[in-house]
Amino acid sequence: MKPLILRLKKQLRFRLDGSFLTINNFKNVSEFKKLKIFYGNKLYDISQFFLISGQDTKNIIIKSSTDKIDNIGYKMKDMSVIVYGNVGNSFGKEMLSGNLRVYGNTLDYAGAGIVNGTIHIYGNTRNYLGGKPVGKNEGVVDGIIFVHGNVGNYSIQRMRRGVIVVSGNIGDHCCKDMVSGSIVIKGKIGDHFCEGIKRGTIVTTQKKIVSHYLTANKANINFFNFFLKKLYKIIGRNIFPKKINLQRFYGRKDNESLAEIFLVNK
Amino acid sequence: MIYRGLKIDDTFAEAFNMKASRIIVTADNKKWAKNACLSFTGFATSVIACGIEAGIEKELNSDMTPDGRPGYSILLFSMSRSQLEKQLETRVGQCLLTCPTTAVFSGIESEDIIPLGKNLRYFGDGHQISKKIDGKRFWRIPVMDGEFLCEETTSRVPAIGGGNLLILSTNRKSCLLACEAAIESMRNLENIITPFPGGVVRSGSKVGSKYKGLIASTNDAFCPTLHGITKSKLTKNTGCVLEIVINGLTARDIARATKIGIESIASSKIKKDVVAISAGNYGGKLGQHRFYLKKIIK
Repeated sequence: MKPLILRLKKQLRFRLDGSFLTINNFKNVSEFKKLKIFYGNKLYDISQFFLISGQDTKNIIIKSSTDKIDNIGYKMKDMSVIVYGNVGNSFGKEMLSGNLRVYGNTLDYAGAGIVNGTIHIYGNTRNYLGGKPVGKNEGVVDGIIFVHGNVGNYSIQRMRRGVIVVSGNIGDHCCKDMVSGSIVIKGKIGDHFCEGIKRGTIVTTQKKIVSHYLTANKANINFFNFFLKKLYKIIGRNIFPKKINLQRFYGRKDNESLAEIFLVNK
Repeated sequence: MIYRGLKIDDTFAEAFNMKASRIIVTADNKKWAKNACLSFTGFATSVIACGIEAGIEKELNSDMTPDGRPGYSILLFSMSRSQLEKQLETRVGQCLLTCPTTAVFSGIESEDIIPLGKNLRYFGDGHQISKKIDGKRFWRIPVMDGEFLCEETTSRVPAIGGGNLLILSTNRKSCLLACEAAIESMRNLENIITPFPGGVVRSGSKVGSKYKGLIASTNDAFCPTLHGITKSKLTKNTGCVLEIVINGLTARDIARATKIGIESIASSKIKKDVVAISAGNYGGKLGQHRFYLKKIIK
């Protein structure tokens, strides 16, 4: 079956809730075409917004997307959604499983409350990446988020487990109250990073964040190469060159946190 | 029947349903990976007294392992789930955790999950670190050479154990050479192991004994020294019989290995001394699977 392709027909004036793609569990494409969606304060046929082709409602491609479309991938389960263009807020919010990609930028709350699955953002993302959804006490519960570009402020709040990879820079007040999980940041890190962290692993090239941590003895860490190899399989590219100088910091000097930092010197 | 100058007895190998699992062991180099695997698969020849039957399935290059280091895959077979679980945990704890530089991963996937490093993690005494990546949990246990990395669980799959080949030869030297040729041809075959020392067993057994409490005793029908005084299945010129036991994940894997083994003997120079190729069975009364030699080599 060919993937279901939706091409946005017109420029949007109001915000459009894109959660209809993933929460309705369509049995076939004819059911999908009958769908009515709210836009502004009125109901419209979906065909008034999108040119629809293809059949597979579990494998969706959105073309010519704009940042007016929110909630794409909301509570998505066992699906694949690929978006060409920008997307709005809450991209992949509370996603349960599957594969979500955007070849563009996102607004706030991308991957907020993700439970499982993989999100690839091939552009930048604004604030609150992996943030806490309203009414929830945890941000990323599990899953993988890969951001090729930069990440805004207040991102990665109270992360429980999972993996986040940021190829670019990350803003201020990020990784607050992190419980556990693994984060790789290749670029620069903003201020107030990892405040209130309990456990978890941070891989970074920035020396400034290790000043509060205890230096561990230099030993072979079997996990690190395994971790990089796993990430290579998932994101399809090497994050660091093959030969790197690695230094491990484990535990904070000023509190009982057992956070771990791998400082990568290229 | 005669197959490429080799006499093949019109008989079958009788095999049993078993449970199997696969693990992948890696280390900094092949030497230490092999040390770990040999230790792990030691005393794992027969379920009769060892609990499990285990062996190295194949050698894995760096690009074939989860952590990019050289290693080996090991297959374990058992009659019961509990025994498989117990033996796996014990052996990982005593043979792999203890071996320098090693790491261990699951090598098979099914819905039937059994623990691998799940309980072993407590060796870390609270310093163990859990990492869940792509739906799988791994444990990093601090040890004196750095850390021991192991996957939390592996899987259990249905399998078959007890496929076999009997090589009947005029003397021990030629019999051993024929077995070595067969084992060499089966080395690195996927989904099978030959659990006995060097892949070969000399003490083939029959069910029961004249002594109370013994569940198995020597297969006197194939003992050349007893020819004449027991109901022997050997011809007069047979001076040695050796057996290759093959455990596999499916019947097809065992049949393929059996065929490759026979072919390798048939194509070796030593076949002139081989009296016949036969197979061990219990009259078809005990095992759920029969591997007819004639069918296999057709």
